[in-house]
Amino acid sequence: MWPLHREEYLGGPRDWQQDAAVLTLAPSAAEDAAHVPLIVDATGIEGQVRRIVVTIDYSPIPLVLTFHPGRALPLLGFGVKYETGSALRASVEREDGSWAMGATYVAAMGGGCTAPAAAHARPDWQERLGEIRARLWPDTGRLRVSLRHPMDTGLAPGIAAHHLTELELASGDGETIARLELHEPVEENPALTFLLPAALARRPVTITARDNLGYRFEGRVEAQS
Amino acid sequence: MTRRAPSRRQVLLGGVAIAAASSLVRPARAASTYALNPFEVAGGVWMIEGAQESLDAANGGAICNIVLLETDAGAVIVDTGSTARFGAALRAFADQRLGGVAAVFNTHHHPDHWLGNQAFTDRPIKALADSKAAAEANGADYATALYAILGNWMTGTAPHPPAQAVAPGPVVIGGRALRLIGEAGHTGADLAILDEETGTLVAGDLLFLDRAPSLPDADIAAWKRALERLADLNPAGVVPGHGPLDRTGAALAQTRAYLEGFDDRMKRAVTRGLSPMEAILAGPMPEFAAMGANPEEYHRSVVQRWTEYESEALPVVGGA
Ligand SMILES: [Zn+2]
Repeated sequence: MWPLHREEYLGGPRDWQQDAAVLTLAPSAAEDAAHVPLIVDATGIEGQVRRIVVTIDYSPIPLVLTFHPGRALPLLGFGVKYETGSALRASVEREDGSWAMGATYVAAMGGGCTAPAAAHARPDWQERLGEIRARLWPDTGRLRVSLRHPMDTGLAPGIAAHHLTELELASGDGETIARLELHEPVEENPALTFLLPAALARRPVTITARDNLGYRFEGRVEAQS
Repeated sequence: MTRRAPSRRQVLLGGVAIAAASSLVRPARAASTYALNPFEVAGGVWMIEGAQESLDAANGGAICNIVLLETDAGAVIVDTGSTARFGAALRAFADQRLGGVAAVFNTHHHPDHWLGNQAFTDRPIKALADSKAAAEANGADYATALYAILGNWMTGTAPHPPAQAVAPGPVVIGGRALRLIGEAGHTGADLAILDEETGTLVAGDLLFLDRAPSLPDADIAAWKRALERLADLNPAGVVPGHGPLDRTGAALAQTRAYLEGFDDRMKRAVTRGLSPMEAILAGPMPEFAAMGANPEEYHRSVVQRWTEYESEALPVVGGA
């Protein structure tokens, strides 16, 4: 799968290698295949990071997300859905066009991608669609953001695809800090960890997101010790 | 805490855990049969001790404690194990040694406690109303999940949820006086039974000892209130849902300490902006790390309980 995905999602780069400096932290077994928590940490990589592409080898939809860290640190905490036990890979592109890849294996009993979102069991889910919760810690530069969204893959019987496609962090002056392209395997009600440099973590950050049905969501978070 | 119906995959993956280790109830090697080792812990109170582990093919799913109370009408059996075969072995012991079976109680709806009911469908099988409903709603998915984990041990097992809802209060069965205690916290409905004659408390999963508590349906605040009330009973002995017989109050103290430790750990994690993976990597609270079924129960609990802690810690900052 990996050679195929390298071709399809990274554009078949010649200059790539596995690199232990790309940490991919995940539990060895999924407790809940719909919410497998992960951290991809490329802060140990030499050189500026242009983007991080996360893929799952054996998933009906292999592409999870692309993270453009921009002015944030190249570290992302998030959660994914798993359909079967498989390797997850984080491919890091540096500014010079070379790639470093880190991977981890997660055992899973399945049902993560083809089960309906738990949201459909609740009557109020549409009302709170897109609700953003967030907190920014100025001393550690941590930003934790969660969005209420069913993240439907379209693979559950009778439920159309409905998922976030983009999320952007911007500083108060409207300048982009970091950007994410999100795809179907991201967990329902995604919760994300970003790491911001001190100068950015002390000022307000705006969060904007969009989904595949054209809904737009926006929030603003201020540093809070 | 808000509760919602779990989806099928959450039932499959949240309700049971996978791990490997040695076991107390030794499954015989050649065939998948259970070698029960019942022992009398008080006058007419028999205990079969489960392995202090997670569900695993190596322990045949025999992980929870079973209690049999002798009465003039046969045994009152509290919980029936994970498989039809385990239930049958239990039935054989009761028939041969305790004059048959008067009634069966299921303490709560988790599958390790009642999938053995199949051996007792000709007897009254009782539980609190909410446990009965939860067992009915989740039984098929629990069975599927346990087949995946236990394999052969599950052969022929079909879910038989408790058929009779009982209310808390005193009850006399075959001349034996019991007090049914209705609590909540480990699940939405947890039954404990006090044997008035010996002062033995059969606690179900409201109490654990030396085995990490499982929290897939836990409401920690409610659970702690339930522990207060159990402490007031001043039982002479306690059979926890998992772990050894306790005559010293250790199960109560330890279960409370574990819940408080976990609660504190989660609150600190979310108020410092950690992600669930970081909380998992931190490992169980050190004083509980050596318990049976840890670290896997701790890992499961972080995934199961994370969102409710985090949504308290993150304010709403925007929306559609
Ligand atoms: Zn149990």
